[in-house]
Amino acid sequence: MPEFMNDTALLWPLAIPLATAAICAAAWAYPRAQQGASLAGLVLTLAASLLLLDSVMSQGIVTKQFGGWAPPFGISFVADRFSAAMVVISSVLALAAGIFAIADVRRRQVKAGFYPLFQGLMVGVNGAFLTGDIFNLYVWFEVMLIATLGLITLDRTRAQLDGAIKYAVLNLFSTILFLMAIGLLYGVTGTLNMADLARVLPQTEGSVALTVSAMLFLLAFGIKAGFFPLFFWLPASYHTATIIVSAVFAGLLTKVGVYACFRVFTLLFEVNDGGIRPIVAFFAAGTMLFGVFGAAIQWDIRRILSFHIISQIGYIMLGLAIATPLAMAGAVFYIIHHIVVKANLFFVAGAIHRATGTYDLRKAGGLMKSSPLLAVLFLIPALSLAGIPPLSGFWAKFMVIDASFRGDMAWIGALALFVGLLTVFSMSKIWIEAFWKTSPRKVARVRAVPVAMLVPIAALGLITLAIGFNPEPLVAFANVAAATMTDPAEFIAAVFAERQIAGATP
Amino acid sequence: METALTGLVGLFYAVSIYMMLSKHIIRVLLGIAIFGNAVNMTIFTAGRVLREVPPIIAEGRTALDGVTANPLPQALILTAIVISFSFFAFLLVLAYRAYQELGTDNTDEMRIAEPEGEGLPPLGY
Amino acid sequence: MADGSQSVTFLALILPFLAAAIAPALTRVFKHNAAWVLALAPLFLVVHFFGYLGDVADGRTVTGGYSWIPSLGVDFAWFIDGLSLTFALLISGIGTLIVLYAGGYLKGHEQQGRFFSFILMFMGAMQGLVLSDSFMMLFVFWELTSITSFLLIGFDHAREASRRAAIQALVVTGLGGLSLLAGLLVIWAATGQGTLSGLLATGDALRAAPFYLLALVLVLGGAFTKSAQFPFHFWLPNAMEAPTPVSAYLHSATMVKAGVYLLMRLNPVLGETVWWETILPVFGGTTLIVGTLLAIRQTDLKLMLAYTTVASLGLLVMLTGFGSEIAIEAAVLYLVAHSMFKGALFMVAGLIDHEAGTRDVRRLGGLRSAMPITFAAALLAALSMGGLPPFFGFLAKEEIYAALNFSGGWNGVFTVVAIVGNALMLVIGFAVALKPFLGAAVETPKHAHEGPVLLWLGPLTLAVVGLVAAVFSGVSHHYVSEPMAAAVAGAPVEIYISVVPHASLALLLSLVTIALGIAIYLLLDRARDAMAGVLAAIGWGPDRGFDQVIRGLIRLADAVTGVIQNGRLEVYMVVTFVMIAIAVWTPMLVFDELPSMPSVPDLTFYEWTVFAIAIIGLGAVVYAADRLTAIVSLGIQGFAVALLFLLLGAPDLSFTQFMVETLSVVILALVMTRLRLHPSDHRPTPEKLLDMTIAGACGLGFALLLLKVTQIPFDATLSEFFSTYSYVIAHGRNIVNVIIVDFRGLDTLGEIAVVMITGLAILALIRIRVPRTSKQPEAAS
Repeated sequence: MPEFMNDTALLWPLAIPLATAAICAAAWAYPRAQQGASLAGLVLTLAASLLLLDSVMSQGIVTKQFGGWAPPFGISFVADRFSAAMVVISSVLALAAGIFAIADVRRRQVKAGFYPLFQGLMVGVNGAFLTGDIFNLYVWFEVMLIATLGLITLDRTRAQLDGAIKYAVLNLFSTILFLMAIGLLYGVTGTLNMADLARVLPQTEGSVALTVSAMLFLLAFGIKAGFFPLFFWLPASYHTATIIVSAVFAGLLTKVGVYACFRVFTLLFEVNDGGIRPIVAFFAAGTMLFGVFGAAIQWDIRRILSFHIISQIGYIMLGLAIATPLAMAGAVFYIIHHIVVKANLFFVAGAIHRATGTYDLRKAGGLMKSSPLLAVLFLIPALSLAGIPPLSGFWAKFMVIDASFRGDMAWIGALALFVGLLTVFSMSKIWIEAFWKTSPRKVARVRAVPVAMLVPIAALGLITLAIGFNPEPLVAFANVAAATMTDPAEFIAAVFAERQIAGATP
Repeated sequence: METALTGLVGLFYAVSIYMMLSKHIIRVLLGIAIFGNAVNMTIFTAGRVLREVPPIIAEGRTALDGVTANPLPQALILTAIVISFSFFAFLLVLAYRAYQELGTDNTDEMRIAEPEGEGLPPLGY
Repeated sequence: MADGSQSVTFLALILPFLAAAIAPALTRVFKHNAAWVLALAPLFLVVHFFGYLGDVADGRTVTGGYSWIPSLGVDFAWFIDGLSLTFALLISGIGTLIVLYAGGYLKGHEQQGRFFSFILMFMGAMQGLVLSDSFMMLFVFWELTSITSFLLIGFDHAREASRRAAIQALVVTGLGGLSLLAGLLVIWAATGQGTLSGLLATGDALRAAPFYLLALVLVLGGAFTKSAQFPFHFWLPNAMEAPTPVSAYLHSATMVKAGVYLLMRLNPVLGETVWWETILPVFGGTTLIVGTLLAIRQTDLKLMLAYTTVASLGLLVMLTGFGSEIAIEAAVLYLVAHSMFKGALFMVAGLIDHEAGTRDVRRLGGLRSAMPITFAAALLAALSMGGLPPFFGFLAKEEIYAALNFSGGWNGVFTVVAIVGNALMLVIGFAVALKPFLGAAVETPKHAHEGPVLLWLGPLTLAVVGLVAAVFSGVSHHYVSEPMAAAVAGAPVEIYISVVPHASLALLLSLVTIALGIAIYLLLDRARDAMAGVLAAIGWGPDRGFDQVIRGLIRLADAVTGVIQNGRLEVYMVVTFVMIAIAVWTPMLVFDELPSMPSVPDLTFYEWTVFAIAIIGLGAVVYAADRLTAIVSLGIQGFAVALLFLLLGAPDLSFTQFMVETLSVVILALVMTRLRLHPSDHRPTPEKLLDMTIAGACGLGFALLLLKVTQIPFDATLSEFFSTYSYVIAHGRNIVNVIIVDFRGLDTLGEIAVVMITGLAILALIRIRVPRTSKQPEAAS
């Protein structure tokens, strides 16, 4: 049995959500059953992802060939430390969201299909993280996209329809652009398997078609990840969705785009060739700065947080732009830290809404007196986002900025520090408006925040604290992950190790 | 053959992008549909248009006779067509519902999520 | 050192945090008397660190610690020498008294437990800061002091002035903190040393490095903001919004000295250069004068003390900048003296406020009989501040003037600055400590009486220590002043100054200062009005500048975001396509690799026909006059593509395309009949031209790109494999089908998942109609 589990470890993060989605869809008329099935599925997925992580940490890169077809002829699933960590952290987030949903999801939202869509989203996310084939990546992106479209229009409010149109058009276009880039890449190399591409591309003559193809990948993933100047869809739509959906989006969607970008630009293309590095650096700088500028002028908590997503993505891209092992490790650390913190902040925003009835900072206030626990729970992710030690965000920023100083790109490190200050200012404004200031409304009725909301917030906060006080395990992990990323030879060797053709000999 | 196809593909791209730059959501939708076709043809052309013979193994043979069309791009395009159609359907319904709720199909007038002239945040402390 | 003492020191470092954790609970049980229990924590630290005095006085440094983040080269390590030990004793000693003081001051306040918690957290952070060996550990504690300061300044958060002061302090010290981080990273990268002990051992290396000036400026950024040097001084007076225990502890005795600590610590490696010896005295001297002049104008006791704190910090920076052995000795003595007398005076001010109900110096007088103990403490502290013997302040003052005499250059200017500054500080000291007590009794809002022991214990202790330490100057110098000065100077020193005055130029200058001070004190009211007039004339100051900068930044952000994120989908699409066009054309043009132009293609007649149909369809879609034509045209181009697939050997593809196209046209037609739409796209001509240019550029670019790709030799390994094994292993004759179902079956699984989820999403979208009431964007409940 354990043999079997180890062998198939790569499949469960994909199979379990798929099965759960089907069960939830089948139990359309029974909301309770859906909730139970969903929670069970999320717990199982988390267990499976931890099992996978354990496999990867003990055996190195784990691969699986679908249909038994040897690479590069079939589709491979590959889990290195980076992807295994991503699967684990997104399962953690999904479970937190599942628990939050106990308190927050309404009956009509369940009737609109929240649970099957949510599980469908996890299928796409896990598939994208684990796949080793670039066309397969496109398919999982599409699965994710349609699931998110369903989730964003869950309440069918006017704002959601408006936001969904912009989201749909821009994101759909980005996946079709991605498909075109795949087509061009296939036309040049004749293969779709990532490891095979990694093997073949360095030997292919430096054709301009490859450079443009790389640029198109960058743009397509850039739209998905929220780079400057292509991030419009994010602030246009994230705040319209119901808060639990916003939290999941904030934690996951852009990270999948970032993950894909990292995969393509460490495995397939080099940031150094074709002069892509200054472009990526420029994008990263613009993303950091314009994200925080956008956040500074909002008064809806969700819109502030949406713009901060963009700003933080800039920091992660900074790691890619510098491309030294330290920078990559910093980026990996940053992604993991950010998923936890960002989703947590959205959950806290949901709790604030439950307590005060509004997301509008101009109307909120006085929460320090009425719910000091919420104040502490807000302070942890907020300070972490701003990069205040000794929380996880500080170490993440430290690694990335240190890498920029040592990697001869000090200007972007300085910009990152400045943006950090603006982020501190922004977070303290939220603190002042929502917690310190007395509420401007006469009857400040404060409703109790349900336990089901507080538990995931506290749990994610604990993770942030743990990473902050003891970052060594995660840093060491990130270092090894980065080493694998900067040298694809190990990846290629792991995938091509199995050479069997579905049993039979021709 | 590939040359002619690239010319046609370029034309498809140009037209579809022109449509996507419209203010009216239905036209954008049409543009996306055409863009999808263009990308499908791109994949097809990139796989090299070798022959007009479909890649089917004849009865009684165990392998292909001679040169046929490249089967892999065809499989990819099939997947892409189905996925694009799903999205087309969804987008159409979304546009329809948006028209019902917001009363317009002009995206410039759809300013619910990001209203105009919102003003600055509270500047005090 | 024995392992036992290493763990005790570690315990000492985290003890304040532990105490902070239990403070709210303790306060709920013991109310304000919890202060007696909580004060045991800093007392423990005092006792523990006292034990190191012997070692440090003998010239040894104590290091220890644990590995924390080996992958980043960061250790949780401490470095105890004269400098850090003195600071540690000041922090924990004054901290003990402050905890007691807070117990009395906030008695009955419902959030007193929280206050204790914050104060203890700050204490732990400050201790960690001065004892840190590793750069990053120091920075962690540095930022922690900023955060705890933020929470403490805004403690009375219902008042806007408190909130403003809190955020102002956070932003200014935060900005400095980032500058410091950058500086530390530069030093680390340049010298390879990540610890203070390692850095101090490198000697001249940093001074000689090309990055010296950059590192210096960045570090000064951190130090000057934290220690409120001009022009970053404005946050400190505003921080007086905090309750008085905070002002006494953070904003006079400890936190604001962190910058001075840093400068003193780095003096051996950054000092003794022209830059150091110019920048620091200039900024320090300016701060000294500005601080004292602004202090004259104030009438609130706390503000008077705050501005003189600014001035004192300036004096410390100035002396550290001079760099000579005597200047450093002077700085050391003054730092110790200042912590004691300023802390005491702040606590006295708080006492007066607590008992008499006002802090306005014009409305206070004759309290000596009502509050005798307070008066005694105030008197002792003021005499120390004024630099009169036999107090510690006198020792410091003498040494300062001795330092001025023996340093070169700019001698005269700095001497005048020092004299005027010190004189004015004497004035303020007396104004705070004597004016409320001497003279005729004045009616105060609250009937004044002596405060409880919790409140007067602190100031009295500090004032008395200031006297005793000066009288037994030999002992003080041996155990405190000399080791500290040696640590700062980088070489052992000897200090001789004692309370016995002996004739010298320094003594003469002291007498001049005292005389000047007393003269101005007698004319205080007139001086105050004169100063008020001058300031009104100037009008603008850095405090207003802060508000303006913030507002300016927000306006800038608004303008920028208004351009980028303007809410119009069309603009978003235009930007996206422009980026794509640039991405496609630039490499082709820059690398000069346009594809070779091919000959006219050789197609059969029916192939040309299909092409023509497709083109006609495209044209019709663009120019359609009514929607039905547009839909049908869409169908035409789709069918043309299907035909093309058929002709080129892709029958399955063709079939699917036909089906999908038919479905698309049908549902599109069905939906369109329900919409009342404009028949065609009325784009104004300029927009039309722009759109056509972008579309044309992209289209042409893609075409050229595709042409380029097809001109590269193709690797057909995959297709050959599929052809070879499709029947043999996978038992299928239609290779395309076999790929879909077997070779790349997972793609198909994903595809089906997409279709299923689309179905769910559409089902929800059309099934339930939202009632047509107006909705706010935010309401999701």
